[in-house]
Amino acid sequence: MKLRTHHPAAPYLFMLPALAVLGVFLIGSAAQVVYYSIGSYNPFTDTYEFVGGANYARLMGDGVFWRALANAFLYLLVTPVLIVLSLVCALIVDSRVKGSPLLRLLFFLPVVTPTIVAAVAWRLLLNEESGLLNVVLTALGLPGANWLTTHPFTLISAMLVTLWKGFGFYMMVFLAALVAVPRELKEAAAIDGAGRMGTFLNVTLPTLRPTIVLVSIISSISALKVFDELFVTVRGVPPEQQTVVPLVYSLAFERNDFGLACAAGLTLFVVILAFSLLNLWITRRAGGRDA
Amino acid sequence: MLERRPGWWIAAIYATALVVVALAVGPAIWLVLGAFQPAGGDVGDPVSSLVLGVEGDGADRQRATLENFGAAWGGGDLARPLINSVIVTAARTTLGVLLAALAAYPLARMSFAGRRILFLVILATTMIPEQVIVVPMFKIASGLGLFDSLAGAVIPFAVSAFGVFLCMQAFEQVPHELEEAARMDGASTLRIWWNVMLPLSAPTLATLALFSIIGAWSDLLWPLVILQSESNFTLPVKINEMLGLFSTNPRVAYAASVLALLPIIAFFLIMQRWLRPSLFAGAVKG
Repeated sequence: MKLRTHHPAAPYLFMLPALAVLGVFLIGSAAQVVYYSIGSYNPFTDTYEFVGGANYARLMGDGVFWRALANAFLYLLVTPVLIVLSLVCALIVDSRVKGSPLLRLLFFLPVVTPTIVAAVAWRLLLNEESGLLNVVLTALGLPGANWLTTHPFTLISAMLVTLWKGFGFYMMVFLAALVAVPRELKEAAAIDGAGRMGTFLNVTLPTLRPTIVLVSIISSISALKVFDELFVTVRGVPPEQQTVVPLVYSLAFERNDFGLACAAGLTLFVVILAFSLLNLWITRRAGGRDA
Repeated sequence: MLERRPGWWIAAIYATALVVVALAVGPAIWLVLGAFQPAGGDVGDPVSSLVLGVEGDGADRQRATLENFGAAWGGGDLARPLINSVIVTAARTTLGVLLAALAAYPLARMSFAGRRILFLVILATTMIPEQVIVVPMFKIASGLGLFDSLAGAVIPFAVSAFGVFLCMQAFEQVPHELEEAARMDGASTLRIWWNVMLPLSAPTLATLALFSIIGAWSDLLWPLVILQSESNFTLPVKINEMLGLFSTNPRVAYAASVLALLPIIAFFLIMQRWLRPSLFAGAVKG
């Protein structure tokens, strides 16, 4: 028998503030997304009318939504680049060359930078007349691009900001995993005459597999629901050239169409959920174990 | 060291590192230079005009100027958003750490009816993307009188499931004997939480605070939605507005961006020893 160690109400009182905030704002909002998505709400008169699946029908018949969704999937291209870049950075820091703590710090600076500041900085580099990128492209005899105004370059521009902001974070995740790679295994491989590449491919990479899966799922989910980078970096670009969350924002707060906005948001949620499950299923099948 | 590494290998590591460092800090340096560039002239190329002095046909090197900062501070009236950002960030972080640590204690250390279901409820909130629920959250917050107030920017995100899980992991490491010893001495549950659990979990709490500060300082979407009057804007919302307002001289927005960047970088450099990779494993899994 365990002694009674605390007042019976204590656990609930401890949890009350956190549960109240999460319950009211997160769970409450999640429930209401469904409610608004099947109704027509007028924010000016504060009236709500049930319309069933009408919003979803409008959404599916709307080319803008499909283009935004397609763009969100295009945005997934950041994931493989992010994985390679952050893994390379983690390996550099983990190699313990002189100055690697400083390198870790510098690689992490973009993560600390507020997204809007990052976007403003990249707008400078991507400026169509005098930004560094176009200047370099022209100097190389290549055509410059309208990075801030023309689809799909606008998407690429926002993706650059996402990459820049993100790789330091995922580097940390990989660093945590690299600590877990057993030294004895690496030594054994080295003794067996495996080269540096052989050791990496046969020892390090398999140990990192679950982390790679994890990073790919997490970064894919955040790519599908991107907002800040697009909203600021390529500001003013019409919603159909952006992704779903900027479209939700524009529908709700520029066109005051709460019903359609919530239907779009909920559809995105289902897509994200399906995508994560699929991702998990494929990697499980391919790997056969772990993950 | 595991093995001797040939010189070319070390050189290759440094060469790669150098490229990534340039990519990591280059854009920020570009922005800082751009903020010192006088109005007029090409936007986007601070180096050739400001540093190298090759702007135009043999034109003089531009002098770095503080006028953008003056315009941003005076005309843009940045003092208010700066204070608002500090208030919102501090409040979100303090509440975030306290509420998470409170909720985590029973989950980590007590047995009570509903423990599992409450844990699952908190876990479920990690599945809900903020971006998807921003519209009804705006309605709920407004209904509670939080529209266009700093409290409105703070309270809906005053705690995160991630924070709760991080604290749970830390509390589970605290030796049971310490808790029991304190109880023998007649300490109340709240007292044990405050005097035993929190101090022994200080590194985790510091890391959680660091994450929270970085996130709250940068947050754009929610403050943009819930704040309406100029006097309540946080820095990111203000800069977003300046990008439209001062579009004839975007350098004013660059100067404001530099002012938003410096405090968080300075803070991060002071706090960076709490940035431990081991906690990132929990961060993404939680």
